[in-house]
Amino acid sequence: MNRKGFWIALFLMPTILIFLLIYAVPVFTVVFTSFFDYRGFSGRMTFIGLINYIQLFTSDSSFKKALGNTLIWILLQSTVHVAIGTILALILAKKRFGWKFVRTSYMIPNIISASALGVIFLNVFNPTYGIVNSIIKIFGNKNINTNWFFDYNTAFFTVTITWLIYAGLITILVLAEIMSIPESVFEAAKIDGASDFKINIYIILPMLRNILATCVILAATSMLKEFELIFLTTKGGPADLTLNLPLYLYKTALIENNFGYANTIGTVLIIMGVITIALVTKLFKFGESDV
Amino acid sequence: MRSLATKKNYKSEKIRGIRIFTSSFSILFQLIIVAISILPIVWIFFSSFKTNGEILNSSLSLPKHWNFYGYINAFKISPLHKFYANSIIIAVTSTILNVFFVGMASYVIARFNFKFKKVILITLSLSLFLPMTSLIHPVYMTINKIGLYDTKAGLILVYTALGLPTTLFLLNSYFLSIPKDIEEAAYIDGAGFFRTFIQIIVPVARPGFATAAVLQFLLSWNEFLYAIVLTNSKENRTIPVALSYFTSQFSFNYTSLFAAIVMVSLPSIILFALMQEQVVSSLTAGSVKG
Repeated sequence: MNRKGFWIALFLMPTILIFLLIYAVPVFTVVFTSFFDYRGFSGRMTFIGLINYIQLFTSDSSFKKALGNTLIWILLQSTVHVAIGTILALILAKKRFGWKFVRTSYMIPNIISASALGVIFLNVFNPTYGIVNSIIKIFGNKNINTNWFFDYNTAFFTVTITWLIYAGLITILVLAEIMSIPESVFEAAKIDGASDFKINIYIILPMLRNILATCVILAATSMLKEFELIFLTTKGGPADLTLNLPLYLYKTALIENNFGYANTIGTVLIIMGVITIALVTKLFKFGESDV
Repeated sequence: MRSLATKKNYKSEKIRGIRIFTSSFSILFQLIIVAISILPIVWIFFSSFKTNGEILNSSLSLPKHWNFYGYINAFKISPLHKFYANSIIIAVTSTILNVFFVGMASYVIARFNFKFKKVILITLSLSLFLPMTSLIHPVYMTINKIGLYDTKAGLILVYTALGLPTTLFLLNSYFLSIPKDIEEAAYIDGAGFFRTFIQIIVPVARPGFATAAVLQFLLSWNEFLYAIVLTNSKENRTIPVALSYFTSQFSFNYTSLFAAIVMVSLPSIILFALMQEQVVSSLTAGSVKG
């Protein structure tokens, strides 16, 4: 190996070691141990083939609920969430008065700790002193005492709100892409007499295909990672109504210490991630050039 | 001719109607966005200066007296200063390590050709799409086995890894945008590989490093899941975990809870406000190119 080769290897070494330790070996462990009966801290493992998977998909009602919720949230997040962020980006791209203030405000819920956000929402939706019920009391229903997070009828909706409407990251990404479109494109359209609305729909949106694909991937896969906002509010309740796969995995691994089974859920999560990315890439013809 | 003129008139009136509709819609939309984004935080901020009684009886009013009892109590009922110190140590160290190590790797990948370069880049990129929640158990076991369970070093190691994909993409695209002759001149002058990196490359790529550092710091400062999985003592827990400790043990003391929320969120908000132009421009440059 020559001198340059030595330095290249040395520069890559720390990152590759960290990658192996925290990503590669764990992924291998997750998939490998999903075929074993592996509980508790004795370290004893018995090979059981696909039994964990069979149990997961045939007789585990909590898993069914968690999988269903996760899928619904992926669908909502990759449509409604991305749409909200994109609409705001289209509005802010006009750079009217205060656009930077709106952009910064919208980023705040995205940059503070998700754990802080969870506790904030727990209080915002508190039945007695929460800001939501207090405002409803002013504008009409004086006797409202809905316990948003813990009522069987409102829990799912309330948990969903805590991430669905906060699309600051999407706005920033889409906005920057719009601003990189050459000014001449808009001028040509305006000379042809197109309205702002038409310019948005027929000219800008098609040019945003690649960044929208990125946004949909980010939004969808974020739902495979969502943990804090459920853990600190409903903890998955009432009766598994707001349970998702990460939270179910957490409970199985750290409360029941059923590691083999937890890692089966982990394998399902990883596969869902791969499918999501493949699907979005295909749907948006991601990465292909526009010409 | 005449019919064409009236048609045009009709059309321009229609356009004006649409314009009024879209502009009022856009103002309303922006108002709602700002309200849902900052009202909850502003409400928590004002409430942190109120008394428990005020919070319960008149939750929307401003505090009668601005008192700091909530903040003082928050430090009394929990070792908040300890959590703060832990968070600072862990976030700063993991930021330095992440940006330095991943910076070295991104530089080599962006600048040189070598065997397996593509394989290495693709393999490392996979970490961006991996749901880290799926790795709770093996990461816990790994950290346990190397003797870092319930230590700051354990969290530092895991956080350094969690930010790997973001830093890699950001710095990789940044290095690609720097002209190559800058360091070639240094090599001709006889400077070594490492010295060229530290003295020439790092200063030139400072904006890229700054953005990566801000994002990595926010990630480590905010992280919650691995903080509860990999620690169990007050000695090593971080500030986001302190919040769950507050909600479970002192749930009757709203003022202190609100004060604690403010103290957890404020550093992130200030850091972002100061660095946002920098972060926004580098983030988008990276996403467009990458």
